[in-house]
Amino acid sequence: MKPLVSYVITRALMFLLSIWGAFTLAFFFFHLIPGDPVSAYLQQLEQQFSQTVDAADAAAMAAEMKARLGIDGSLPEQYWRFLGNVFIRFDLGPSFINFPKPALEHILEKLPWTLWLLGTSTIISWILGFVVGGIIGTFRNNFASQFLINFSLVISQIPSYFTALFALFLFGYWFVLLPTKGAYDPSIEKDLLNPRFLLSVARYAIMPAMAVVMVGVAGTLISTRSLVTTILGDDYLQFAHAKGLRRSHILMRYVLRNAMLPQITGLALSLGFVLNGFYLVEIIFNYPGMGSLFLSAIRLLDYNLILGIVLMSITVVLAATFIIDLLLPLIDPRIKLSD
Amino acid sequence: MTDARPLLTIEDMRIHYDSVRGAYKVVDGVDVEVHRNEIFGLAGESGCGKSTLVEGILRLIEPPGHIHSGTALFRPFPEDPERSLDLVQLDYHEMREIRWKHLSYIPQGSMNSLNPVMRIRDQMTDVVMHHEPGGQNEINRNIAAALEMVGLPESLGALYPHELSGGMKQRVCIAMSMLLQPALVVADEPTTALDVNVQRAVLETIAHLRDQMGAAVIFVSHDLAVHAELVDRMAIMYAGVVMELGTVYEIFDNPQHPYTKRLIHSIPALGGPRERLESIPGMAPSPLAWPEGCRFHPRCPDAVPACSSATPRTIELDTGRKVTCHLFDPDIDLEQGSA
Amino acid sequence: MFVVDAWKRSGYFRVGGIMLAVLLAIAVLQPWLSQLALQNPDVSPMSMGTFEPYADPSLRHPAGTDKLGRDMLALLFLGIRVSMLIALIAGCTATGIGISLGFIAGYKGGWVDAVLRTGTDMVLVIPSLPLLIALAAYLPTISIPVMSLLLAAFAWPFTTRIIRSQVLTLKQRPFVDLARTSDQGDMSIIFLEILPNLLPFLGVSVAVGMSSAMLAEIGLQLIGLGPASINTLGLMVQQSVQSGVLAIGKWWILFAPVSCLIAFFVALNLINIGLESAFNPRLRSVTGD
Ligand SMILES: Nc1ncnc2c1ncn2[C@@H]1O[C@H](COP(=O)(O)OP(=O)(O)O)[C@@H](O)[C@H]1O
Ligand code: SF4
Ligand SMILES: [Mg+2]
Repeated sequence: MKPLVSYVITRALMFLLSIWGAFTLAFFFFHLIPGDPVSAYLQQLEQQFSQTVDAADAAAMAAEMKARLGIDGSLPEQYWRFLGNVFIRFDLGPSFINFPKPALEHILEKLPWTLWLLGTSTIISWILGFVVGGIIGTFRNNFASQFLINFSLVISQIPSYFTALFALFLFGYWFVLLPTKGAYDPSIEKDLLNPRFLLSVARYAIMPAMAVVMVGVAGTLISTRSLVTTILGDDYLQFAHAKGLRRSHILMRYVLRNAMLPQITGLALSLGFVLNGFYLVEIIFNYPGMGSLFLSAIRLLDYNLILGIVLMSITVVLAATFIIDLLLPLIDPRIKLSD
Repeated sequence: MTDARPLLTIEDMRIHYDSVRGAYKVVDGVDVEVHRNEIFGLAGESGCGKSTLVEGILRLIEPPGHIHSGTALFRPFPEDPERSLDLVQLDYHEMREIRWKHLSYIPQGSMNSLNPVMRIRDQMTDVVMHHEPGGQNEINRNIAAALEMVGLPESLGALYPHELSGGMKQRVCIAMSMLLQPALVVADEPTTALDVNVQRAVLETIAHLRDQMGAAVIFVSHDLAVHAELVDRMAIMYAGVVMELGTVYEIFDNPQHPYTKRLIHSIPALGGPRERLESIPGMAPSPLAWPEGCRFHPRCPDAVPACSSATPRTIELDTGRKVTCHLFDPDIDLEQGSA
Repeated sequence: MFVVDAWKRSGYFRVGGIMLAVLLAIAVLQPWLSQLALQNPDVSPMSMGTFEPYADPSLRHPAGTDKLGRDMLALLFLGIRVSMLIALIAGCTATGIGISLGFIAGYKGGWVDAVLRTGTDMVLVIPSLPLLIALAAYLPTISIPVMSLLLAAFAWPFTTRIIRSQVLTLKQRPFVDLARTSDQGDMSIIFLEILPNLLPFLGVSVAVGMSSAMLAEIGLQLIGLGPASINTLGLMVQQSVQSGVLAIGKWWILFAPVSCLIAFFVALNLINIGLESAFNPRLRSVTGD
């Protein structure tokens, strides 16, 4: 088991190193953006309460806020402090939104919505794409297959927020079947045990999910079909036929199973990128997920929250790759534990 | 040796590949008989259609290829030697009944003929279960016996194909081919791409197939030296047709057809350097447009005027050997080409 | 020329090529086309209140007018021109960066390659849209070139990857060895022996770069962080979404620019598929022909 151990250790080190590298890049990127969020915030407060605040008081307050936000002192100082807080104490510090509510709390509030909406639609599109891609890869020479593959090729590169707009128009305004904004009916008591609430959550997710699924299916379908086409030409498939195995058995055990292994990587990667790709769909539907949260954070130059979200996205992507690296040699015998 | 009812009678077999430029007539009228318990050799330069012919009999030709016409009467039932099945006419289910139980196959690309993500034992079990389902213990015993017969340990069943050497994979395929004790085994270039020592072991295993199990073997190879060691009777193919057919002694000791003569002469002396067979001057013709008259005439040193205009008939000499060449046709005017 | 080959070999390329050519023609002829639609040499497509707001499509205004009383067709032509320009600059810049880095990594190998590859992977992992949003939000002014460069900054890793892997494969080929042993310099090997073989991939790379630049541009605009002074198709989409045209039943105001953008994406994607299936036989199974 020696090679396995060293393999896991190398991968784990690479994983941590990449997180640290990406985190550092992102930290300096955002902190080098000119602007002082605290003064802007104080000014805004002043206007809001139309109070004249004593200059000395204001300065003291600004200094105190900066200290609590962790944006006092030199940039390297801030960097090391933040790094320590995040990776040792898992503390991102407070956020501007409802100051001093911790940034992490904001994220944990919104994360489930994004995971529910985009995680579910990603998995649905993968399953649909895999099954349909497998079928049209096996039965290539008929009108339906030709049509489906060409249709998918055409729509695969259309951004999902366009399909979102079409869905919105068609089902939200034209036929008025589905709600156009939000994640649940606000008139229903928000309780995870309330079936009416759950039903409304599902109902509100249909349209945005549909938008994501349409484009996602096309991508998986194209790659699955091309994998299946390759496998069908492989020698072991001809041999399987010569052995007189049942067609359905060949399809399941020889074609789909062999195509599924590489596609699992694809699924893990798209799950990893869930936090990246679909901000705009959330925004179009006013969905209360990470996308909307990030936008607010950017508008306020809310460093802690911004970095928290970016770090979260990066970690999820890297974790997905890391897990694939660990799992794939176990599920796919063709992949050896090397490098 | 010859009995009244051959195991397999192939008549006027034609296999074409359709293309926009016309049909590739890869196999273009082949007549061959294979008797019970004999090793029948199929020789000829690469590309002459040997694999296509046997794949046709095995019904493994895929579009755009198809069997254009011809019959292949197969009589695999020892209790009823008169009963024949035309392999060309069987539908998918009837063919599946025949496969492996009566007609098995050692494919040309044995290196890649095993499913890369299934253990050897599972792949062997797969075949048995599809034809003669039985208890797991009995199946395991059969698999162990088959592996032992080709000189492989039973423990190898737990491995995946990529963990085996080329020769091992080849022998796994051979072991697989005899699992159900079929009447006929088709072995396509089973020794090509193996080093000489492994070649010898494989040849011995195939001889074993016939001696121990009473199977007949169609042995395909472009390597005449291998035929000389193994087969009983053989056919020499050129450009999609059989040029000469006879016992291995007749062919090697007393070749008649001009092409056979060239081939025999191009075999390197024992222990001398191995060369490929294309040492006959001239290029192999294209299946898209075979030469008029005799297909060999552009390269034939003995050609007469008739050769470029009239297609030679197949002439049966004494002892049943057959030659397709004008020089042996008593009825033809060699200068004019008319009978 | 590889374009001619691709045209001959792939139906996808032909369809995509024709679509892109039409869009390109509109972009080039835009000043004249817009005038034609406006029927008044003194107004610009952008100037507000030229016509009745929210006029339905008619002979005079084939695509209707928007909330600000501008002729949608004239505006659309302008949008195509500006978006095309930004995408082209961004696509070419990204390709330029990608080629340079890909070449250096693939040709030099060793630790140079390792560093560049890690960097590329890092940029691929970092969510680009958020960074772009942040950049756009805090830049004081955004002009067409700045916008293009911004978009290019995130579109290059793809090209770097392709070029690197292609250079690695080509390096194995005999003709490069031949050039090496015959004492040719690195630069001349790159330009004379390797680059010509990569032209189809550069085509793919420019198309992908253009696509991702447009994608990002629309993203910025939809969030409302794009520059409102540059009339891209993305801005037109954003303005129609903002003014809620769907809710008042004026859906064509939204779907006119959306259709143009979809035409763009589809054209670029078809060109891609065409190039890949024409020049990369392994990928031919993608299209199944
Ligand atoms: N799909 C195809 N389309 C056209 N020609 C084909 C196809 N497959 C095989 N051929 C042709 O069939 C000929 C015979 O091939 P094959 O039977 O494999 O020869 P052999 O086994 O004797 O070396 C070759 O010339 C090859 O070009
Ligand atoms: S028929 Fe003529 S060309 Fe053909 S083999 Fe005989 S002699 Fe040669
Ligand atoms: Mg062959």
